[in-house]
Amino acid sequence: MIGLGARTLFVKELRRFLRVPGQTLLSPLITTTLYFVVFGWSLGGRLREVEGVPYARYIVPGLVTLGVVSNAFLNTASSLFVMKLQGTVVDILVSPLSYAEVLGAFVLAAVARGMLVGGVMWLVAAAFSGFGIAHPLHALALLVLVAVAFAALGFMTAVWATSFEQVNFFPTFIITPLTFLGGVFYSARMLPPALRTFTFLNPVFYMVDGVRYGMLGISDASPLAGLAILLVLCAASLGGAYAMLRTGYRLRG
Amino acid sequence: MTVSRSRPRLRPEIGYIARVADPVVSLSGVSKRFGGVEALRTVDLDIRAGEIFALLGPNGAGKTTLIGIVAGLLRATEGTARVLGRDVVSDYRFTRRAVGLVPQEINFDPFFTVEETLHIQAGYFGVRLREERLDEILDALDLRSKRRANTRALSGGMKRRLLIGKALVHEPPVLFLDEPTAGVDVQLRQSLWSYVRALRARGTTIVLTTHYLDEAEELADRVGVINRGQLLLVEDKEALLRRYAGKTLRVALAEPAASLPGPLAALGGRLEDGGLTVAVTTGPGGSFGPALAAVAAAGLPVKDVETARMRLEDIFVSLLRGERPGEGAAR
Repeated sequence: MIGLGARTLFVKELRRFLRVPGQTLLSPLITTTLYFVVFGWSLGGRLREVEGVPYARYIVPGLVTLGVVSNAFLNTASSLFVMKLQGTVVDILVSPLSYAEVLGAFVLAAVARGMLVGGVMWLVAAAFSGFGIAHPLHALALLVLVAVAFAALGFMTAVWATSFEQVNFFPTFIITPLTFLGGVFYSARMLPPALRTFTFLNPVFYMVDGVRYGMLGISDASPLAGLAILLVLCAASLGGAYAMLRTGYRLRG
Repeated sequence: MTVSRSRPRLRPEIGYIARVADPVVSLSGVSKRFGGVEALRTVDLDIRAGEIFALLGPNGAGKTTLIGIVAGLLRATEGTARVLGRDVVSDYRFTRRAVGLVPQEINFDPFFTVEETLHIQAGYFGVRLREERLDEILDALDLRSKRRANTRALSGGMKRRLLIGKALVHEPPVLFLDEPTAGVDVQLRQSLWSYVRALRARGTTIVLTTHYLDEAEELADRVGVINRGQLLLVEDKEALLRRYAGKTLRVALAEPAASLPGPLAALGGRLEDGGLTVAVTTGPGGSFGPALAAVAAAGLPVKDVETARMRLEDIFVSLLRGERPGEGAAR
C-alpha cells in the first residue's frame, strides 16, 4: 500500500504542472503540431511513403516518443531543481518519506505528464493521419518505460545541477541530438551505410523504433531491442537516482 | 498569538516513551567537514525534555550545521545524533516524525496557498491535517485571514510564520528554530517569543539558534555557546548569569576627577568619561559598600550612582575572546 506521504508528494507534483497547463501541456502540443505540419505535410508531399506507410503517419511514433522523453525529463528536472533553488526541498528532506517514496512520487508524476502530453500529441496527429494502432500494449509499455527512464534521469540531473545551465545541458546536448538522429523523421534503411551504423549505436533509435513497431507494426530493428534497452536504462537511472538519495549526494551536504 | 493549553497529541507511532530525565536529543562526538572546512568539531550535547535551549554563536559558528544534522538536512562526518534515543540516520523515519524544523532561510512554493501548503506538509509526515488543527495553527500564527492567499502574496513576516506552521503540522515533540527572529520587526519578535513560551508550556522541547543575545536571555532555560564548530560552554542560563555575572558600580561626578583616590584604586576602580565617572566592578556576590565608603571618604562630588548587572552579551563576548567570563568583560 502506498503511504499518505508518497501520495501527497505525487499529487503535489501533479498539481504543480497542471496549474500551468500553458507551459506544461499546451506548449509541447503546439511544438508537435508544428513538427507535424512542417515535416509531415511539406516533406510528406515529396516523400509519399516510407516502408509502405504514408510519411505523415510514419513520423507520429517518433514525435510522440520525443514528447514523452522531453516532458518526463523536464518535469522531474525542473520541479526538483526549482525546489532546490527556492529552498522548499527542505520540506522533503526533513520529512519521514523514504528514499523510494520520494523517487517513486517524482517519477510517477513525471510519467503522468509525459503520457498526458504524449497522448494528446497522438490524438492530434491521429486526427491528421489515422487512429489505428498495430500493437497497442507494446506501444504503451515502451512509452511508459521511456517516461520512467527519462524521469529518473531528470531527477538525477536536478540533484547534480547547481545552475539552470546545467539542468539544460542534458536535454540540449544529449537528448535532443540523440532523438533527432534516432530515426524520428526517417528510416535507418534510408541512410548511407556509415550513418546507418552510427544510428544503430544510438539507444534512442531503438526506443523510437520499438514504439513505431507498437503503433505501426513496422521496425528497422528487432522490436524487442527497444524493450531490452529501456529496461536496462530504467534500472540504471532509477538505481542511480536512488543511490543519490541514499547517500545524500548534493542534497544533504 | 495564542495557543490552546491542551497537551500535544503525540501520535502512537512516535511512541514517545522517553522518561523526563532522558535527553530528547543527544549528540555524541559529532563532527562535520565541508571539504577542508571543519564546521563542527567533536560536539557532545544533550537536550532535555521540555526545555528551551538556545544555541548561541556568531555567524558561521556551526549552529545551523548542528541542527541540520539532527533534522536530517545534513549527514555528520563523524559521531552520532539521536532523537528520543533513536539514531537520526539509521532510524530516520522515526526521528524525523519527532522533529519540526523552522529553517533560517524563508522558503515558499508559489504554486500553493497557505492552507494547501500546510496540508501538503502534513501529508509528507503521513498526517491528515484536521480542520480544527488547521484553524488552531492559523489562529496561533495570525494567518487565518491569509488562509486562501497564495504564499507569494505573503509579507516576509507572514512567510516566516508559515514556516513555523509547517514545522508544527505533525505536532513534533522537538522543535528546532533556526534564527527565528532574524530580520523581523519588534512586534513580531515579541509575539514569536510568546508563542515559543506557549509551545514549551504544552510540553514541546525547543532548540533555538540565535545570534541575538537578548533573545536567548529572554527565552532560554539553558544556553550553549558555539564558535568555529566547537561547543565552548553549555549551562543553565540563570546559573551562568549568577556565576559569572559580576556587577559594575558607576558613580557619576559633577566635576571630573584628576586622579583616582588610592583606596578606590586598591578596590580595582577606574576612571571613565574623562574623569567624570568612577567605575568599580565586583565579582559574583561582591559588595559595593567599601567602594561607596571610599568615594565618600575622598569627598568626590557625587552626581549620580548606578549599578549594572553583567548581561549574557558580556559573557558571550568574553567567551569568544577566550577570556574567563567576568574578567574585564564589564568595562
